[in-house]
Amino acid sequence: MRWKQFLTPVKSMNAQQIREFMQQHAADEFTILDVRQPEEYQQEHLPGAKLLPLPELSERLDEIDPAKPTIVY
Amino acid sequence: MLAGKGFEHVINMSGGIKKWDQPVAVGDVEQGLALFTGDESPLDTLVTAFSLEEGLREFYLSMIERVRRPSVKGLFAKLSDIEVLHQQRILKEYNALSGEDWTVETFGPRRAAPAMEGGLTTEEYIRMFDPDLESPADVVSLAMSIEAQAFDLYERASNRSRDDDSRKVLRRIAEEERAHMTQLGKLMAQL
Repeated sequence: MRWKQFLTPVKSMNAQQIREFMQQHAADEFTILDVRQPEEYQQEHLPGAKLLPLPELSERLDEIDPAKPTIVY
Repeated sequence: MLAGKGFEHVINMSGGIKKWDQPVAVGDVEQGLALFTGDESPLDTLVTAFSLEEGLREFYLSMIERVRRPSVKGLFAKLSDIEVLHQQRILKEYNALSGEDWTVETFGPRRAAPAMEGGLTTEEYIRMFDPDLESPADVVSLAMSIEAQAFDLYERASNRSRDDDSRKVLRRIAEEERAHMTQLGKLMAQL
């Protein structure tokens, strides 16, 4: 069992709180992670979001920095 | 999954993108990246960025002729003036790196292939956003969307860049595009 998964807090923020968070941080201080499918990303995505579709996420996690706050949608 | 893989600070956006009421970017991960192969030098990167700003400035100038309301004409003129300021900032960095002494006027003819900021053409933007071009709010909203698209492009270009210095240049420009969005948000609030 992945105990750390239970011990690491995953916050939830609404869009307004996310916007405020972004305004308070430089763009290279956090990652925006889009885990949807490429077609959904193509239709619209948060500016600056990194596309890592959920089925590929575990294999491509090395493409993002685990030390930075990661906003996921 | 992320929390179990060493990610220390994971934030879930509740409601997903459907609840996001700010400008979004469109297109696939390669959108506009023909402009940035990843092998450009910092100077080449700045030339492309300057050209993108030039494309946007020309777009705003062309819109002055297309609209009727004086207030909207003035708004487009203001937006085009803002692009000149962006060009001056890019050129300042170019001159500092190259040791040369270009101005916006002298550098213009040297610009790369014309393209809109964000890697889309003028007509593509108009078609995509379908703004009421006589509405100041729609015009500023269009400008914010273009800046969002540009920020997205520079972020993807910086991720692709294999040159450390070019990557830093692209990150700085991306951050500036983000600041432009905030400025336009303030402009919108004044309307």
